[in-house]
Amino acid sequence: MKTATLYGASLRRTLIEARRYWFDTAAGVVSIYGFFVIIFLGAKLFGGNTPGFGDTLSGVVVSYALWALVIFSLGAVTFELIQEAQLGTLEQLGMSAFGLPRVLVARALTGLVVQVTIVAGLLTVMMATTGRWLNIDLVSIVPLLAVTLLGIIGFGFVLGGLAIVFKRVQQPLQIFQVVVIALVIAPVGTWTWVKFMPLAWGAHLIKQVMVDENRIFDMVGTDLLFLLAHSFVYFTGGLAVFKYFEHTARDRALLGHY
Amino acid sequence: MEAGSVLEVEHLIKTYRSRRRGEIKAVDDASFSVERGEIVGLLGPNGAGKTTTIKCLCTLVTPTSGKVFVDGANAVDEPRAAVAKLAAVLEGNRNVYWRLTPRENLEFFAALHGIPRRSVGALLDELLERFNLEDQRDVESRTLSRGMQQKLAVACAFVKQTPILLLDEPTLGLDVETSHELRAMLRDMAGNAGRTILLSSHDMDVVQDVCDRVIVINNGRIVTSDRVSNLLALFQARAYRFVVRGEVDGALRDALASAFDKIEISSDDGVATIDVELLDAERLYELVDLLRSRQCLIDSIDRRDPDLEEIFLRILRGEVRS
Repeated sequence: MKTATLYGASLRRTLIEARRYWFDTAAGVVSIYGFFVIIFLGAKLFGGNTPGFGDTLSGVVVSYALWALVIFSLGAVTFELIQEAQLGTLEQLGMSAFGLPRVLVARALTGLVVQVTIVAGLLTVMMATTGRWLNIDLVSIVPLLAVTLLGIIGFGFVLGGLAIVFKRVQQPLQIFQVVVIALVIAPVGTWTWVKFMPLAWGAHLIKQVMVDENRIFDMVGTDLLFLLAHSFVYFTGGLAVFKYFEHTARDRALLGHY
Repeated sequence: MEAGSVLEVEHLIKTYRSRRRGEIKAVDDASFSVERGEIVGLLGPNGAGKTTTIKCLCTLVTPTSGKVFVDGANAVDEPRAAVAKLAAVLEGNRNVYWRLTPRENLEFFAALHGIPRRSVGALLDELLERFNLEDQRDVESRTLSRGMQQKLAVACAFVKQTPILLLDEPTLGLDVETSHELRAMLRDMAGNAGRTILLSSHDMDVVQDVCDRVIVINNGRIVTSDRVSNLLALFQARAYRFVVRGEVDGALRDALASAFDKIEISSDDGVATIDVELLDAERLYELVDLLRSRQCLIDSIDRRDPDLEEIFLRILRGEVRS
């Protein structure tokens, strides 16, 4: 069974749907940007003259872009599952010779291509708006971001598993959107336990690159190993939870229901 | 597993627990097999267990107990090996992506079975042509009629090139012309392409027209399993209509009713019609003798040709077991 075939087809479908759903995508990006402008203007109004405002603003830009990317990635797993169940195609994916989890991993990873492109554009516009040009060291950012998002996708699978069994998960997802903000800006240096939470440690390292202009090669090896282990645990743990829910859904004949 | 069987269901039981209704047995100790190249119809009223049975075969529902084999692969223990051998259409037009075109849908579903785009091109063209979707190949599927979407769903199952097809109500909502087109395609797929097809349908015309054999399921249990031709012959040989000139008086009615279990007599404008079913064909002479003894002049005797729907209803009523 050729995995490349699955990934190629999934990427083609993602690109086609992004083109055909362009208005939905554009509306989402515009509303996220609009919300950012409000935050930026508010921060400038109340704290624009305080010392260190520039660095804080850089941190806000990175955090906001990461938040947007995480929301898109989580939505790609969870909303995709809800949509597939509504459309009736989830059962078809469930009958794939690759197995449902592998198909959904392919969908999530190929979805990232579009999401990262959109957020990169959004980040550029946000940097232009604030006048704070961040350190875009792709050699450092790409691997850190990839590993961080892998953990997030694992978390998305937990929500996706809940979606196929309990169907209505929009509210937990909305709550999680707020939680993501906390995780992105969490001070992992102050509260060590926070770094065990999803996203927090990866966001911390990415900010070190983009705001503090650190390079991945200058980072402590154990910090990077912790990120790898952290994301691996969330990804495999998320998949294990998803498989449990998938088993439950097959036992209760829920894959075709919505 | 029986030799030659590509689908084998052994003592399949599927129960659900509901807070309101307690334990519900959707499939109750069902056993049957389907031979390679056969088209078998799974018939039953609503809630009989047809869809659950089909979903157990395609691994979407885990059986409570019993065994399900798909071309030798145990559907519970080796689900990926089992689904690699089959394609299924469930709930018709809900099985395609509405934002993708027919061509894109076919390519995507082929890829879900590990078939790359470059090796599916010729088959894709052939399917679009056979399903009369050539002119719509590059328009979004959401703009297609329901019938076209349903045909596309079946085409998406065909494109996987599996030896087994499971179709749950494949003609539901189709107009007569499209339904006939689809029947021809199914016959062609089984006949020329050697595929095995198990289909569930409420449309008896479809089953009678397409299937070699029917399995009737009611309340989760297999009630009967026989060739369509055998079931039809069973009734053709036994059901007769007599048209008799003159009235059938009360005494004769009583005599007929006491001699034959399944008899209906109606009179209209001096002509009586007697519909009778004979468990033993020899008893036809007994009936003729009885009419002759009462000086009834027989105008005609016709063997009735009941359709599958009538037979199905009688099987469900428990009037016949083949």
